[in-house]
Amino acid sequence: MDMNNEQLDEFLEMSTVLTAFSAYKLKGTGQLEAYFNTVVEIVGKATMDELLNAYRKVKKAANNDETVLNKQLRFQILSNDKLGPITRNIIKMWFIGSWYQLPNAWRENYGEAEKDSTFVISTNAYIEGLLWPTIDSHPPGAKAPGYGTWASKPQISEL
Amino acid sequence: MRHLKRVVTHQTALEKEYDVVVVGSGISGSIIANELSQKGYKILILEAGPGKDLTLSGYEKYLNNFYTATSKDNNAPYKRNPNASMPRSVDVKKKKPGKPNADSYLVQNGPFISDFTYSRVVGGTTMHFESKLPRMLPEDFNVLSTYGHGLDWPINYEDLMPYYRKAEFEMGVSGNVSSQTFSKQKAYADDYVFPMKEMPPSYLDKCVAKDLDGAEIKLAGKTYSLKIRTFPQGRNGIPNENYKKFNNGELFKPVGAVSEHQAEEGERCQGNNNCTPICPVQAKYDGRKTLAKALGTGNVDILPQTVASRVVIDSATGKVDQIVYKSYQELDSDEHTTSTVKAKLFVLAANAVENARLMLASGLNSTSDQMGRNLMDHPYILTWALLPKIAGTTRGTICTSGISDLRNGDFRSKQAAFAVDIHNDGWGWATGGAETNLLNIVDNQNKFGKDLRNELVHQISKQLLLANMVEMMPDPKNRITVDHKYVDRLRNPRPIVTMEIPEYTMEGIAFARQLSKFVFQRLGAEDYSKYDPMDYGYVKYKDEDYAIRGGNHLAGTHIMGTNADDSVVDRNQKSWDHKNLYLVGAGSMPTIGTSNTTLTLAALCFMSVEAMLKDLEA
Ligand SMILES: Cc1cc2nc3c(=O)[nH]c(=O)nc-3n(C[C@H](O)[C@H](O)[C@H](O)COP(=O)(O)OP(=O)(O)OC[C@H]3O[C@@H](n4cnc5c(N)ncnc54)[C@H](O)[C@@H]3O)c2cc1C
Ligand code: SF4
Repeated sequence: MDMNNEQLDEFLEMSTVLTAFSAYKLKGTGQLEAYFNTVVEIVGKATMDELLNAYRKVKKAANNDETVLNKQLRFQILSNDKLGPITRNIIKMWFIGSWYQLPNAWRENYGEAEKDSTFVISTNAYIEGLLWPTIDSHPPGAKAPGYGTWASKPQISEL
Repeated sequence: MRHLKRVVTHQTALEKEYDVVVVGSGISGSIIANELSQKGYKILILEAGPGKDLTLSGYEKYLNNFYTATSKDNNAPYKRNPNASMPRSVDVKKKKPGKPNADSYLVQNGPFISDFTYSRVVGGTTMHFESKLPRMLPEDFNVLSTYGHGLDWPINYEDLMPYYRKAEFEMGVSGNVSSQTFSKQKAYADDYVFPMKEMPPSYLDKCVAKDLDGAEIKLAGKTYSLKIRTFPQGRNGIPNENYKKFNNGELFKPVGAVSEHQAEEGERCQGNNNCTPICPVQAKYDGRKTLAKALGTGNVDILPQTVASRVVIDSATGKVDQIVYKSYQELDSDEHTTSTVKAKLFVLAANAVENARLMLASGLNSTSDQMGRNLMDHPYILTWALLPKIAGTTRGTICTSGISDLRNGDFRSKQAAFAVDIHNDGWGWATGGAETNLLNIVDNQNKFGKDLRNELVHQISKQLLLANMVEMMPDPKNRITVDHKYVDRLRNPRPIVTMEIPEYTMEGIAFARQLSKFVFQRLGAEDYSKYDPMDYGYVKYKDEDYAIRGGNHLAGTHIMGTNADDSVVDRNQKSWDHKNLYLVGAGSMPTIGTSNTTLTLAALCFMSVEAMLKDLEA
């Protein structure tokens, strides 16, 4: 796939805001390209451009103020009927490694992509889901923490 | 490739003479095959399901199927196979009045619709069982004479004790005998220990125990004190030094992964929290561990993808003459060949539902007419709540501890006994797991970033799910039948289930629900349990709502008894009607108490082996 590095960086940066995980941690999953490509394959390059443009605007308006950034993200992207569902899917991919079929309304308005069904991106994507480290756990069936570890207090702190 | 070599062709099987034909390669069939083959007898196993999981790479394929399945149900690792179907919980639908649910493998006649499952693959249902392995209580063998409900067994607990030990060795039980002392009668010899030490209780267990241990409840005029105790489990832990005296002076050696190569896996449970549907490292016992030993003797051959479809009786002797089978090449094609096998002895080990299905499909409903009747399971009522503090839910094996104090007591003259599991995997069974929380938080609670992560912790790491497993007594009306209207792709009749939850059990369910309310109140936990009238397992009882789940502990379809008029098999699981036929497994159990059935059915198989050896010697 023709992948523009600058876009990939922007996608990564937006993902850090959506997930509250650092770029380092997100890259560490090894899934950045796979998730980027999944979005492009399903909604198309033009829509990906639109999303990243919107994010660029949000960032500019926020001017490094976190509160404004979060608010603008809701105004410009998450509440946008085209970009919102895609963005929520990006969050879900990071956390659990699956793409979920876009809502019916979205599909009616913006077209049904052939690949737009609910599926697990890959074995590794499932295993690298960020939901599990969030709750100091591991994906069922993988990355087992070792005998007896379950007996101790989990290392979880509020952010 | 030692194991794969034992997968023989039909031609080879036809040319050989076997002493015993075993139907089914689950734990029951594997124990029988292993024990008899160790004595030099030649065995042929017919296995309906595919056999690629005899190798490590085949097993890993199952694992990969599981990782990439969007619905992670109990049978998710296994491809659909219309030639030897298995029930899947995702296929279960609410019953429409007037006609049975017939559009998936199990034909459900109701009135209660159960979502129980079993597996038809090499290794059988233990491939995805949880492997909680408690014994039945001494009292459970005489419930009719003691409490006036159910049936008495033709044997006592004491008769089965030595075989329980064999079963605990075979399955590699980890546990603590002192946490198993809630029977009024002595259930273990003073110095007995399990092969491996108790699995450490989870942090979640400890959070519950802190505020619950010592709590007292009243039931039928008696006071019971509650205590969180661990369950014995068939998964590899740390061998117990004190077991040496039960193992010729040697430390117990945990059995690792089944593989044709030396494998690093299977040593010790790593807390994958995935025992059902599939343990990624094979630390959990499954039937293939016994099967591999049997195949290793060189005396056992196996024909996978071979469905036993009819038991043929010699009308002169009443003995089984042959078994007719259908064997298929591909899972996605109905192309098959039909053939027959003969032997001195026949053993049906296809599980409680399939044994009865096969016999009934052969027109053999037994002199007592009890074939297929007295179908039992453990109905589960789930209750779930959010604890006030982070409890680390989703870590550990599926379940390490629970409440066993109400597994026995005088109240059993009025209502069913029950055991309570604390589910380390959280609400999954009731509400669909952590993924459901994630989707809800993102799509409906509109959270992202830090708020999303905090909400995930709040909603998942504090989950407490209690699975209340309730006793169900035998009732001839609850049964498996067949009808040639309903057949599978190879034209074998499918099992028809008729089941109603008896009042005795409903009383137990109602009490279990009340106990959960008491527990949640004591722990300061928010009760989220909700039972939807649209749920397929919905039952209204005394104006309260319940949604009941199947326990997968199917039993009773060919019960043992004292004579041919009251039962299908004798105390050795030998058919009263056909002297060279054994029907083995939980189908032989006249009652199931509050014990997951596998350890007991394994013990029964070890006991039957002795009778089979006598028959073979004669
Ligand atoms: C989700 C789940 C969790 C469970 N957890 C526990 C637990 O924690 N503790 C416990 O004690 N029990 C548990 N059980 C129950 C346990 O799995 C069964 O008791 C046990 O597997 C029964 O062993 P079996 O060998 O008698 O039958 P099965 O394991 O069902 O094996 C029967 C074999 O026969 C084969 N077969 C069937 N029909 C035919 C035919 N016509 N021809 C040829 N072959 C055939 C099947 O393919 C299969 O290989 C659980 C079950 C499930 C589904
Ligand atoms: S907790 Fe994990 S490692 Fe342990 S038995 Fe279960 S699946 Fe296997």
